[in-house]
Amino acid sequence: MTGEIFASNVESAAGDKQMSLMVNAHSYLLTVGNRPGEVDPAHTLAFTLRETLGLTGTKVSCDKGACGGCTVLMDGKAVLSCMLLTIECGGKEITTIEGLMEPKTGALDPLQQSFIDHSAFQCGFCTPGMIMSAKALLAENPSPSEEEIKEALSGNFCRCISQYQVVEAVKAVSGKKR
Amino acid sequence: MKTFDHYDARSIDEALGLLGKHRGKARLNAGGTDLLGLLKDRVLPQYPELIVNIKTIPGLDYIEEDGERLRIGALARLCDLAGSRLLQERYGVICEAALAVAGPQIRNVATIGGNLCQDVRCWYYRYPAHLGGGMLCARKGRGPCFAVKGDNRYHAVIGAGKCFAVCPSDLAVALAALDGHMTLVSHRGERRVGVGDFFSPLRNVLEADEFVKEIDVPKASVPRLQRFLKFTLRKPIDFAVVSVAAVTEVKDGIYSDARIVIGGVAPGPFRAGKAEEELIGCEPGDAVAAQAAEAALEGARPLSKNAWKIEVARALIKRTVYR
Ligand SMILES: Cc1cc2nc3c(=O)[nH]c(=O)nc-3n(C[C@@H](O)[C@@H](O)[C@H](O)COP(=O)(O)OP(=O)(O)OC[C@H]3O[C@@H](n4cnc5c(N)ncnc54)[C@H](O)[C@@H]3O)c2cc1C
Ligand code: SF4
Ligand code: FES
Ligand code: FES
Repeated sequence: MTGEIFASNVESAAGDKQMSLMVNAHSYLLTVGNRPGEVDPAHTLAFTLRETLGLTGTKVSCDKGACGGCTVLMDGKAVLSCMLLTIECGGKEITTIEGLMEPKTGALDPLQQSFIDHSAFQCGFCTPGMIMSAKALLAENPSPSEEEIKEALSGNFCRCISQYQVVEAVKAVSGKKR
Repeated sequence: MKTFDHYDARSIDEALGLLGKHRGKARLNAGGTDLLGLLKDRVLPQYPELIVNIKTIPGLDYIEEDGERLRIGALARLCDLAGSRLLQERYGVICEAALAVAGPQIRNVATIGGNLCQDVRCWYYRYPAHLGGGMLCARKGRGPCFAVKGDNRYHAVIGAGKCFAVCPSDLAVALAALDGHMTLVSHRGERRVGVGDFFSPLRNVLEADEFVKEIDVPKASVPRLQRFLKFTLRKPIDFAVVSVAAVTEVKDGIYSDARIVIGGVAPGPFRAGKAEEELIGCEPGDAVAAQAAEAALEGARPLSKNAWKIEVARALIKRTVYR
């Protein structure tokens, strides 16, 4: 949790403060400041992902920590990107929904495919967050029980009632690798 | 969010130096799960000019026992508390309370220090400034308490005055039942405050230049029977309408020790001494649990719309004490 952050927030030759942000195994060098394309200290990770890096797969709906729509992985754990300051994420590994596909072949993650196969969405707005929470669960516990699946998804709200299919979709890939 | 300067503190001293220098205009950021909400809605009467990240202070996330105490560093995360073997074995009520907080994503970043220092959830207090202007109330140092004449269905029923907001922290309830203390440090030195005494109606006792370093629980006489239950409207993630921590010891078939603490009813965790008196010396059972529940909130003075919370508290106390 400590240490790396200092190494990743550095001053450039021009005197601008810079930070590197690792997203989906790609390292972005960002300038701290309030000009377009820069990271303001008050920017949330959700804002940076969507507005600065163009990774709009991560959704923001409540922007208050209450819905789970903005869930991403940080060093493998599910976190809310709307409640994190980007400037504090240097040195961490962030994974978003865009990072789940197989980079070489472009194949979907089996969990994503399972969501499709089970029609585990209606409007789809909560879906990236649901998938990222489920991904974190499966990484830690590859064969979760139904109760464990529900607990892991308890911070993700769906207003279209896709939850039942979501649980089925996660169950279908539990016990399988990747 | 309106912008601010930002600094990664590397030591408590450095953080204290910045708090002192900015005189009330710097805020510490631990997990940020409470602070960011306050900043986004511009709830605080004074918007900070500097945010000090304290997650970069090494070595403050321990959970360990020494000869006399259980000691928890202020930066221990709620997921660490819930997963700690040591806590599961001897201080289960802390794990149960940690697990009752919000959802997994918040527990993965939220800290115990932040949980105890988090601001109240009164809906007048939290009313967002961008929706027609924020509400200045007694807690913000100016104005009335809107809850007295307004919608106070979730407000305090006992021990409040001037401000009727309840303590939102689940950990405070569990820690108060274990006689937990907090160590606060500033350039003036260190002081140790009981978790129950940390809260008062208008604000907690933390000064603007103080830092919560550690939470500790005396090891001697930690009762074995520990339980935390919470009543919420939205089950998976929500603040407590009422919560109860019951920590009891039964020797030779009778209660030899009992500590009953109620959350969500008062400005701080409410220690129900009258309920404890009902239990001590009695045999565990439904009847005595019901008596304790009846006595617990004696002297409560509900506002116009929140007497129902007393009923909820009674049912929950009964269930927590004896199941
Ligand atoms: C949707 C949602 C649901 C929630 N549900 C619950 C719930 O059910 N139960 C519950 O108890 N809480 C709940 N919370 C509140 C949640 O924010 C806290 O539980 C969390 O533990 C706060 O910790 P943090 O580290 O993120 O605090 P931060 O936001 O970093 O800090 C909170 C406050 O404490 C101060 N602070 C932090 N650390 C220190 C320190 N070491 N010394 C001095 N001051 C410090 C900060 O300056 C700030 O003012 C919920 C929050 C959200 C958004
Ligand atoms: S209960 Fe407290 S925070 Fe809420 S309006 Fe009254 S004074 Fe303000
Ligand atoms: S958008 Fe982050 S939790 Fe709702
Ligand atoms: S599918 Fe619409 S919010 Fe979940």
